[in-house]
Amino acid sequence: MKKLGAVIAVLVLAAVASIGLTSCGGGDDETSGGGEQGGVLNGTYASFPDYLDPALSYTAEGWTAMADVYTPLLTYKHANGEEGSEVIPGLAKELPKISNGGKTYTLFLRPGLKYSDGTPVKASDFPFAVERMIKLNSGGSPFYIAAIEGAEKFAETKQGPIPGIETNDKTGEIVINLEKPRGTFTNELGLMFVAPLPQDTPVEDLSANPPPGTGPYMITKSQPGKGWEYERNPYWAKANGKAMPDLPEGVIDSAKMTVIRNPETQVDDIEQGTYEWMQNPPPASRYAEVKEKYEGTQFRVEPTISTYYFWMNMNRPPFDDVKVRQAVNYAVDAKALERIYAGQIAATQQILPPGMPGYEKFELYPYDLEKAKEMIKEANPSDMDITVWTDTESPNNEAGEYFNEVLKEIGFNTTLKQINADNYFTVIGNQSTPDLDAGWSDWFQDYPHPNDFFQPLLSGESILPTNNGNFAELDDPAVNKKITELGEVQLGPEQEEAYKELDKEIMEMAPWAPYGTRTLSTFVSDAIDLESVIFNPTFGHYLSSFEFK
Amino acid sequence: MSTEPSAERGPWSLALRRFLRNRLAVAFLGLFVLIVVFVLAAPLWADHVAETGPNKEHTVEQITVDGEQKDVVTPEGKPIGPQWFGAGGKFFLGADSRLGRDEMVRLMYGGRTSLQIGITAALIATILAVVLALLAGYFRGWVDGLIARTLDTIWSLPVFLIGLSLGIALAVGGLKVGPFELSSGSIWNPIIVISIFTVPYIARPIRGQVLALSEKEFVEAAVAQGASPLRVMFGEILPNLASTIIVFFTLMIANSMLFEAGLSFLGAGVQPPNSSWGTMITVGVELLKIQPLLAILPGLMIMLTVLALNIVGDGLRDALDPRGKARMDAALEFESQGGTTAAQQGAVV
Repeated sequence: MKKLGAVIAVLVLAAVASIGLTSCGGGDDETSGGGEQGGVLNGTYASFPDYLDPALSYTAEGWTAMADVYTPLLTYKHANGEEGSEVIPGLAKELPKISNGGKTYTLFLRPGLKYSDGTPVKASDFPFAVERMIKLNSGGSPFYIAAIEGAEKFAETKQGPIPGIETNDKTGEIVINLEKPRGTFTNELGLMFVAPLPQDTPVEDLSANPPPGTGPYMITKSQPGKGWEYERNPYWAKANGKAMPDLPEGVIDSAKMTVIRNPETQVDDIEQGTYEWMQNPPPASRYAEVKEKYEGTQFRVEPTISTYYFWMNMNRPPFDDVKVRQAVNYAVDAKALERIYAGQIAATQQILPPGMPGYEKFELYPYDLEKAKEMIKEANPSDMDITVWTDTESPNNEAGEYFNEVLKEIGFNTTLKQINADNYFTVIGNQSTPDLDAGWSDWFQDYPHPNDFFQPLLSGESILPTNNGNFAELDDPAVNKKITELGEVQLGPEQEEAYKELDKEIMEMAPWAPYGTRTLSTFVSDAIDLESVIFNPTFGHYLSSFEFK
Repeated sequence: MSTEPSAERGPWSLALRRFLRNRLAVAFLGLFVLIVVFVLAAPLWADHVAETGPNKEHTVEQITVDGEQKDVVTPEGKPIGPQWFGAGGKFFLGADSRLGRDEMVRLMYGGRTSLQIGITAALIATILAVVLALLAGYFRGWVDGLIARTLDTIWSLPVFLIGLSLGIALAVGGLKVGPFELSSGSIWNPIIVISIFTVPYIARPIRGQVLALSEKEFVEAAVAQGASPLRVMFGEILPNLASTIIVFFTLMIANSMLFEAGLSFLGAGVQPPNSSWGTMITVGVELLKIQPLLAILPGLMIMLTVLALNIVGDGLRDALDPRGKARMDAALEFESQGGTTAAQQGAVV
């Protein structure tokens, strides 16, 4: 998903701003010692989230900012690492009952839930949230338009209701009928796009005035571009906390997030205790220093479920020849890229990253430059001129420069094009852009399901004239069939095995030269208990997990 | 035979003598020549000392420094610092970034690019400006109105912002007008942007001089003898503008280099992997805390080059137009005594 670009954008943005705020506004009594309740958390983000509206946000920053404000029917376990990939009931009493050959999902709302403005939560709020999201043309809407019966027509006409969703406000029952079985739908119900909202919520971007939610915190003030503030949701203690005892209530009383666009300044502020947490990792130039000084006390490396790769357009020479693509895979040295990413990337050579069900490590193309040169000689490509695309954000720009030099090294004539990170995916996702030969990309999971790495990135169906995500333009009928079939069934050991095979099968075709999986980090001031902070692979840092020492 | 030197020597020879008497200008001319020699020696240093190219990456390589193996880039992504001659001249100034390119080699090649852009852009801008100024000043009337207003319009634009936008557009998509085609990474993209936006800075003052010169007797005489406008403009007026043009050209090289550095720093100038001093500052800024030289060195080179060109330009102006210098000195002296110069009065009016 394109939040990946934003995740990286966070690493490198330059410029300065800093607002000095005291670290523990809640007072010493509330914040000091033994993880007591209370305190004001002052945090920083390197950029304002794309949206502070649950229907619209599609970036890591946005999801982290709203994870404890908007609770979907299902959600993810508040835990670190792989444990955090488990789907658990959110506003729903339990996980959905799936019937009708995988086409009908039935859920029941927990009774007694209220929004932060006191409005009772109703079952019909769910279809309202889905319709609102589609009407707003949210980046997340394709998941639901493709899945829910009648949603495609609704998306065209914007006239409701969506016939595939039936609700009963008295019993809290929600029945969702799908067009066809969809193995990823449980995960998709856990995304914030479809978190229920009061039915009087305006159908417009509410980033400056976020709507009421059901989580333990509410956003009380938002100044797009500058920052936002949280207070406790008064109805959490009165209602929702009792109705959802399995979700954490949070420790701090309130929080204030400030946008500081210079990550160097963010690091200095954390060190000085001006702020207690930075959402993005330290910049590459400070990463080693911060890690060495604070690892284990204030700093922790966080694995992500992501793949960084170079794509090669299989529809254009010279990459229409599998031998050329394989040669490029041999020529890319993941060790060099680990250094370019200042140790914030772990080398991999496959599509599925560690932590994703179906992942099993393999290495088809161990680094061998001489072999690569030999293979190119054998392939003798007719077209030796290649345009290499990358964005301007460091270190992705350097990864692109590295790839450019690798291609030169094995004999190609290259032109490097660096596109501003804000527009990069729009430009390379538009098939009318000339010379889309090869380039850099990355992908962070939308949800912990292996299909999320195949369907949008490597299925023939995903080759689109605009907003294309299949940059390699892999369109192999056998692969397409497998992706579709696997996407229709619930994930189990058999499917995991099939995804494992699919990963290898596609890498033998070498549409990509994958080189790593990214690590992010938690960096807090010495006032915060690092152990308590949870980094979820889908939602990032949970606000509710922060605790003053 | 007369022994009077002024009677023997022509105006150019006199100007040269005056310039050589200006020790500061001569010293900075020497500095500029040294800088030019430094950047021209880039291939020699790259091939025979550093044994690498400007874009050649050494990310995972090691070098032997005083018998000890060192990573060019550490696993944590820290580039090696200056090694001076510890590694036989390799990585003399260290590595440029996490890509492990030789900083010294890139500094020399980057200087070539910066100077090439500066000189070419200044040359194009000066030629365009002189032609426009001659047309406007000689023909006057609607021709003058059209040219002057066009120059005013360009002058009134937020040059850097538009230059930046245009630079980015050209850097991404290149330019294709009929058979004329520029690729996106071409060095001509920043040259064109800089040339367009610096024309008014030369054309306006030269136009004023053309207006004055076209009323002189020698011009009237040429017209009376039936000389064509082209002949009058380029045969009679242009030679009298030579000293002004030389001074402006020198100063515009410095300005163009600064403009290029700014555009490249913001990503709209020279495109990676090629280097210019501007792009090197961009790369260096990110590593400012751990390798400050990476940003300081190219910045210093820009500063020295621009300073040298400005002082040489001033020296040339003083040498070619000594009366202008005398007028300026007198005005400054008058001003320092509390008077108001004509220029200031004009500004007030």
